[in-house]
Amino acid sequence: MTLLRWAVVVSGLASLAALTVRLRSAWAFGRPIDSSAPKGRSAEGVGYALGRGLLPWEKESARRHWMVYGAGILYHAGIFCALALLAAETIVIPLPEFAVRVLRLGLAVGAAAGVGILVKRAVRPLSRALSRTEDYAANILVDLFLLAGWAATLTRTATAPFLGISILLFAYIPFGKIRHCLFFFSSRIFFGALFGRRGVLPPASKAC
Amino acid sequence: MSSTALRKPDWSERLEAVTSQDLKAAIRTLAGVIDAPAAVGLQTCVRCGLCADSCHYFLDDRDLRSIPAYKLNLIIRVFRSQVAGPGRAKKRAGGLDTETIRAWVDALYGRCSLCGRCTLNCAMGIHIPAVIRKGRAVLASLGMVPDGLDSTVETARTSGNNMGITREEWVETVAWLEEDLRAETGDPRIRIPMDRRGADFLYAVNPREPKFYPLTLTAAAKLLHAAGRNWTLSSKAFDVTDYAYFTGDDGTAALLAGRLRSAMDELDVRSLVLSECGHGFVSNRWEAPVWLAERSGRDVKSILEIVVEDLRAARLRLDPDRNPKTVTLHDPCQLVRLGGVIEEQREILKSAVRDFVEMTPNRKENFCCGGGGGQLSMTEFSARRKSAGRIKSEQIRRTQARIVATPCHNCLDQLAELNKHYRLGVEVRSVLELAAQALVSDSR
Repeated sequence: MTLLRWAVVVSGLASLAALTVRLRSAWAFGRPIDSSAPKGRSAEGVGYALGRGLLPWEKESARRHWMVYGAGILYHAGIFCALALLAAETIVIPLPEFAVRVLRLGLAVGAAAGVGILVKRAVRPLSRALSRTEDYAANILVDLFLLAGWAATLTRTATAPFLGISILLFAYIPFGKIRHCLFFFSSRIFFGALFGRRGVLPPASKAC
Repeated sequence: MSSTALRKPDWSERLEAVTSQDLKAAIRTLAGVIDAPAAVGLQTCVRCGLCADSCHYFLDDRDLRSIPAYKLNLIIRVFRSQVAGPGRAKKRAGGLDTETIRAWVDALYGRCSLCGRCTLNCAMGIHIPAVIRKGRAVLASLGMVPDGLDSTVETARTSGNNMGITREEWVETVAWLEEDLRAETGDPRIRIPMDRRGADFLYAVNPREPKFYPLTLTAAAKLLHAAGRNWTLSSKAFDVTDYAYFTGDDGTAALLAGRLRSAMDELDVRSLVLSECGHGFVSNRWEAPVWLAERSGRDVKSILEIVVEDLRAARLRLDPDRNPKTVTLHDPCQLVRLGGVIEEQREILKSAVRDFVEMTPNRKENFCCGGGGGQLSMTEFSARRKSAGRIKSEQIRRTQARIVATPCHNCLDQLAELNKHYRLGVEVRSVLELAAQALVSDSR
């Protein structure tokens, strides 16, 4: 068991390192100097992009597709539950029963949301046409991660498979779309900085 | 010599002549135009498809190829296999070939107006039109710019403006417009100044104004005269537009934008004020400092910002009763969503018209009319442009307005076409025209 836990730690750190290298490679493409006189403030735009701008009523796409938005939130909440459980299992921190129940619920709901998103992608013609093999593979891998975590909250025999799937997931993250877990922040920062500078974000008044 | 031999081959014919060397050079072009935000964006798309409903093209035709994520992923595939991947991966076959180029032209030119609505709705915040522009830059390097757009850029490059108006024609047109204006207003002091050294600002117009819409130029002259502004046109450089913005060719875009700045320097003018033009505003206000690698930004404003300043300072008085019909406002995407000039035109209209009604949605969430991105010059996509404009037409109809105002000449043209195509029965006017119509001045 100790070897497996060490493997989780090493794979997690390696994944983070590889992600960081990939992100730095993307940044290395450079940004031209922008000497245009700002109308607004980049920092405010970034604050909006990483804060209020993520709320469902701030984006038409979220307002129109609140179920998909909600499923996404639950899915990511489940992922955070799985990561919390993984941390506890790896460092061998005994969790209070209440915390285990909360994580169990989060993992179950998250896994269900993930499967729902997978089904939507496979069933809706346009989603299916837009999707690549990697989209299904990434979803299935994360769903297995959540399901294994959920099982690990029920029985100790599921802990090893949970740790094993975690290692697979960490190994995959830097090479596939799940790298958005880190790239998301950079993308939102660039978005917020540009639109903040141009005085578009945060919005001065709500659009009708 | 046959007419076929004289005719320049169109882009699909030029595609047949593309060689593997050309494709390799195009990959190098892609690697060269990608910057950090694009590189991050190209690796962040999760193909959630939430961008689909934000795009007027997709809302109209429900075609996979119109989904912004689809368009983005055309570029992602080539970027990942040919630019971003580790060395060995770059040698993989595929990536950029003639079929891909054909798909790129159809999607990046034929199904995108660079409106940016998708960006605001993207969970990741990917600046999709900026990436589309980089794809267009690759196509431009291969000579794959649709002919109408290509010739417009070439006309601007060689003649100084996108309509090929000569300097003599420009100066003469302005002179008789000035004469007409004096006759109309009865004010002998009113001027449309040309080459006035040391003026407070240089005013740049859309070449369509002297050619087809002189009312907007004279409207500006009336308002600026009434406010006592010290302004000037340039006889040498007057074109606010920069159609190279639409081709992604930043080198040519810089050349075109640089002319106005040179005119400012020659006339010893500190500021540049731009006529009603969406992409012209973004190009000159936000992008030109980057294209030209300027060390310090110039003072560049929209004419709308100037008019609002004058309204607030009570240098202008408008009587809304002179515009009694219900007016709605179309928000030009480049000016509003990508440019940040959002409230000024509203403030002007609320002073200039009796009954102003907003479209739904509006401001940064407003829909593109379909005329942007160079669409008006690309005749091969005109049917699709008009069809996608159905979304805007429905917005207009729902307002029950009699007049659609918009501060952009490309939008004016597209809205005029939509008005006819969908029998909207509205008048399409510029914001300046309505403001000038409401102007209360001593000479009237």
